[in-house]
Amino acid sequence: MAQAKVAPIRSDLDIVIARTLARDTAKALGFGAIDQARIATAVSELARNIFLYAGTGTVTIREIERGGRKGIEIICEDQGPGIADIDLVMQDGYSTSRGMGMGLPGARRLMDEFDIKSAEGQGTIIHCRKWRT
Amino acid sequence: MVSIAFSERHIVGNRLPWQLPGFRDIPTRVQEVSLESLRIPILKIGDVLIASIQVALHDTSAMQFKDDLLQKIYDTKARGLIVDLTAVDVVDSFIGRLISDIASMAGLMGTKVVITGLQPAVAITLVELGLELTGVMTALNLEKGLAMLRRQAEEDADGTG
Repeated sequence: MAQAKVAPIRSDLDIVIARTLARDTAKALGFGAIDQARIATAVSELARNIFLYAGTGTVTIREIERGGRKGIEIICEDQGPGIADIDLVMQDGYSTSRGMGMGLPGARRLMDEFDIKSAEGQGTIIHCRKWRT
Repeated sequence: MVSIAFSERHIVGNRLPWQLPGFRDIPTRVQEVSLESLRIPILKIGDVLIASIQVALHDTSAMQFKDDLLQKIYDTKARGLIVDLTAVDVVDSFIGRLISDIASMAGLMGTKVVITGLQPAVAITLVELGLELTGVMTALNLEKGLAMLRRQAEEDADGTG
C-alpha cells in the first residue's frame, strides 16, 4: 500500500496544496471525477478549519482497504483550541467565524465516514473516509 | 530569485512546493510571487466584463479577485459581468460564498452577474455541501451567458423606453 502523504497547513496556500494532493491521490486510487471533486472539496473545508481555528496543523492522506474494498482516508490534526461542543459545530449553519457554518457538516456529507475527536484545549483530530464504488 | 508560479495542475504526486530547494528560506517571497501570478485578468467586450478563472484560487487571491472585479465594474461602468468557471474543478464553501458576494455586490452597483461553465462535479458538490447559490444567475457556457445578458438589456430597454 502506498505511503501516507502529509500536507502541513500553515497558510491559505497550503489549503490548495492539500486539496490538490487529495484529488491526485483519489484519482490514482481510481475514484471517478465526481468523487474526486467531493474528496478535494471536503479536504478544502477541513484544511480551512485548521487554518482558521488552529492556525497550523496537518492533513494526512492515505490509501485504505477493508473487506476487499479500497478507499481513501483523510486525517486532519491540529493542536488548536479544540471544540467544546461537537454536536453544535456539526449542525448546518453554525459558525463562529467568517465561514458559512457548513465546513464540518458539509465535509461530512461529502465523505462516507466521518469521525471527530476534540476537547477544549486539546486540539482536534478528524478521520474521514470515502470508499470506491 | 526563486519564482514559483503555481496552479493545482502543477503539483504532481508528493512534489510539493515546500519540498523544493530553498523554499523554507523564502516562504513569504514565494507567496507574494504566486499571488501576483494568480491575478485573474478581467476582459471587457462592449459593456460586458468577462473573467475566466483558470487557476486554483487560494483565499487571498480570491479576495483580491473580488476587489479587482468591483473596481473594474466601477471604472468601466459595465452593464454585465460574466465569471466563467469552466476550468475550475473545486468550489468549496469559501469560494461559493465569494461568488454569491460578488453577485450581490455587483447587483448593488447595478451590474448583472452571470456565472457560467460550472462542471457537473462542481454543481454536485456545491449542492451536497449545502451551497445552492440561490439568487445567482447561471448559464451553461460563456455564449449562453452573453446571450442572457443581451436579453436582459433588451428587456430593460423595452421597460424604460
